[in-house]
Amino acid sequence: MAETIEALERRIDELRVAVREAVLAGDPALASARRAELKRAEQAWEDALTAATALASPVLAGPVLAGPVLAGTVSAGTVPASPGETAEPSGSLLPLREQVYEALSLLQVPAAPKLIATVHEAFFGSTFPTTKVTSLKRDEERSFRTAPFARPYYICAALSADYLSPSRGLLAVSTWPMERRVIGSLSPRVDFLTAAIRVADAIERIPTPPLSARRLLQRFAASIPGAAPGPGSAPAGPDRVKPDVVRRAADAELSVHADADSRMRKEAADRARRQLADAEQLFGSKLQPVTEETGPVGEG
Amino acid sequence: MNSDQLPGPVEARLDRLRGRALPVNHNARTISALAANPGCPRRALMDAAGVDKQKIAAHIGYPAPFGQSRFAITRGNAFEARVKENGAAQLLTLLRDRLDLDLAEVGYTDFNDVGGNPSRELRHVRTRQGLIGPHYAPRTLFDHPLLRLRVGGRHAYLEPDLIALRLDGTFHVIEIKSFPVIDGQADPAKVAAAAIQSAVYVRALRDLIADAGGDPGRVSHETILIAPRDFASQPVATSLDVRKQLGVLDRQLVRMTKIEALLEPYPETLTFDLDPDDDGTPRRPREELAAAIAVVPADYAPECLVTCELCFACRAEAAGSTGALGKSVREDLGGIEYNAQVLALARGQLPSAEQAEIAVQLLRAAQLREQLLGEAVP
Repeated sequence: MAETIEALERRIDELRVAVREAVLAGDPALASARRAELKRAEQAWEDALTAATALASPVLAGPVLAGPVLAGTVSAGTVPASPGETAEPSGSLLPLREQVYEALSLLQVPAAPKLIATVHEAFFGSTFPTTKVTSLKRDEERSFRTAPFARPYYICAALSADYLSPSRGLLAVSTWPMERRVIGSLSPRVDFLTAAIRVADAIERIPTPPLSARRLLQRFAASIPGAAPGPGSAPAGPDRVKPDVVRRAADAELSVHADADSRMRKEAADRARRQLADAEQLFGSKLQPVTEETGPVGEG
Repeated sequence: MNSDQLPGPVEARLDRLRGRALPVNHNARTISALAANPGCPRRALMDAAGVDKQKIAAHIGYPAPFGQSRFAITRGNAFEARVKENGAAQLLTLLRDRLDLDLAEVGYTDFNDVGGNPSRELRHVRTRQGLIGPHYAPRTLFDHPLLRLRVGGRHAYLEPDLIALRLDGTFHVIEIKSFPVIDGQADPAKVAAAAIQSAVYVRALRDLIADAGGDPGRVSHETILIAPRDFASQPVATSLDVRKQLGVLDRQLVRMTKIEALLEPYPETLTFDLDPDDDGTPRRPREELAAAIAVVPADYAPECLVTCELCFACRAEAAGSTGALGKSVREDLGGIEYNAQVLALARGQLPSAEQAEIAVQLLRAAQLREQLLGEAVP
């Protein structure tokens, strides 16, 4: 059962890419065939999840910090359940948008669907296929345009600082200040370090953090100088990565980028508030605005 | 913006040649292959016009034997995505180690489109601004910048995976591939291909900087190859020194014929259009397309089998010709074109004046063969 769900999620990701490739290559027959396969895989996933839920103990809803981990993980690699944990499949009763909101609220920075799903699985006990997350942004925009500000929050885009266009692959929360929802050239790294700190904080709040959470922190630590145990010692398993070490290392690097990043984000946010209507501030500008930043075009 | 593009008439003729379809981009592989066989007019014209050789070969009944499988493409994309995700976390870790990047060198800009607009001209302008313009955000990594290279008098757009710009002004080309590097060793043919491809990007980037009045030496001949370690997804970075490839490429680019000269012998109405219907299925009669293609001669050699999608068609056409056996074979046979002629001379047929010299050698070879095998030339 565990293999089925996990394998289906990987297959769905691959099929999504295959559909895109076929469409961009101008091959409609192939694209149709791939779309049909994708639908079948998504349906199979739903069925598998329903079957798993039917077997599970009372469904977990809301922030759950207990041990059980949904067997179908979308984080890197397979995660075999350690002896002390039951790999009990469970599902969330919350709609997808609320689950995404939970995960983003923990991270407090714009994030990609894959990270959002991993965070939700690590700290809220259930996960979801990344394919559903990518269509969520479209649905949220439609909902906003139909009835602006009707909902307390929207899952929205992060905007690139230069053209205020939606930054591909990133989701944010509409109630965040504009400065947090624009992406300058240093912002991807800054947000990564900030996310590491938030994950470290969240782990420290749990008496017995689940393996998936510790693995997530380990993955962050692997890319932050000074966050993982040094070379020469045994390879950093999840047990050897310490939240406060990760936090201090991330803070140290953040101090190098923070000022420049804040300046860029503030300037971009001011521009967005000046130039864009409400819907564009949340979901990005589709046109190419003329800004001071574009410089002399066509100098060739 | 396109002041360097060719005058209208040539562009129009190439459009006509290609037909309705959108032009297929050159990439570094096709340019390096093109430069390797500059003597083939058919290939040179089709690549200049951006013709989809894969589709044409399939329609005339000779589908190409290669091209990446869907799974290889998916696997490659997935690996690249993993390397670049989370603010290029893995990529930065690799480059901090391999290139000694400073802690501050983390800037990341995406050139895959310009505010959602995928136009190549726009992307190229923005790439130029980003790489050499004075007023630009803190920069280190450029994702899919769009470069241009002059090929046969025309501009081809090229798209390296990444370019790194150091604080000291040095540029490094970075390519991400999905073939595995096992114990520090990878498939030599694939590494060689990656090296040539990187050299093409280095050349294009050097030209861009030189055109802007800068020092092309700022582009390092050391390029980076990022590939998975073993068969797991962990990426590993290797340095490639592409000076040799650059030398070969430069020599070949200089030798390539200009496109106007190539187009000259052919009627203005010549076209390789497929006349696709709404589903994209070609409607042009197979024989008509084959006849159009035959108007432009090819220069088939066995090397074509790994570099050009039309190889089977041209090989069938060249069947019985000495050149189809290999580039040096025709030279060795004194320039005689057809196998049948060679065999006839070997059997003792009277040679023409130009053939006299090679006929002597062929008769001698036939004698030796008969002594060894005990039978005459069939």
